[in-house]
Amino acid sequence: MKLIGTEKDRLLLHFGRREKDLFLHILRLYPRVPPAHYRVSKSGPADASSQQLLEEALVEQRNENQKQLSALLGQPQRWAEQHSGWRLTLGPGEPEWLLQVLNDIRVGSWLLLGSPDDQVQVVDDGNLLHAWAMEVAGAFEISLLKVLEKRL
Amino acid sequence: MAETAVPEMLPGTVQEEQDQPAAALEPGYLVICWNDPVNFMDYVTHVFQVVFGWPKQKAQFHMLQVHEQGKSVLARESMEKAEHYVHQLQKYSLHATMERDQ
Repeated sequence: MKLIGTEKDRLLLHFGRREKDLFLHILRLYPRVPPAHYRVSKSGPADASSQQLLEEALVEQRNENQKQLSALLGQPQRWAEQHSGWRLTLGPGEPEWLLQVLNDIRVGSWLLLGSPDDQVQVVDDGNLLHAWAMEVAGAFEISLLKVLEKRL
Repeated sequence: MAETAVPEMLPGTVQEEQDQPAAALEPGYLVICWNDPVNFMDYVTHVFQVVFGWPKQKAQFHMLQVHEQGKSVLARESMEKAEHYVHQLQKYSLHATMERDQ
């Protein structure tokens, strides 16, 4: 994923051919973090409604992210084929949304690996998908952060 | 020894209570971000910049506190605002909570 230009408030990103397939494949894993994972407080919620409010807000956000993701995956016109790969145009707000989605996949995969403190020691048939998803989502996340930094 | 001035107050008069800003009267809540081994340092810095509108240097300072000390207090706010920030940080899958300021 590379920044090839900006057009008004849009970002033009270049993807290699296999990179695009990998990108779409990893995005299809969203969402990965279980809804009950997040807690509003470590010492107990400030009041009974706080935890409920948080969960409702996160569910709403997740639904919104899924809608946007369906639009990205289901609209081939978002992708323009070029001789060396593909060009994706991201509109205002979409890079932030994409970062949230990619990090959900990364963190959710880490949780599915058992929340290891360090790198996964053993990769086997049982955890290969989770380990792979965590690393690939992370790689796209870093690329997107570099793109956003260049833009700033 | 220098004398201190005694405020003049007539018997039978009631002194009005000074107005205090609402934020000072409300119990405060600390917005805390906790360390975890999965979120990238650059990502955490970016999220702090976006959510709080901080310059990169300040965001990096708090990110390093999280990384080195296990947590960083990012803000002290009313319950409503603290909830808002926690929601924003958790949207980005950061480990953030709000705790009552003792």
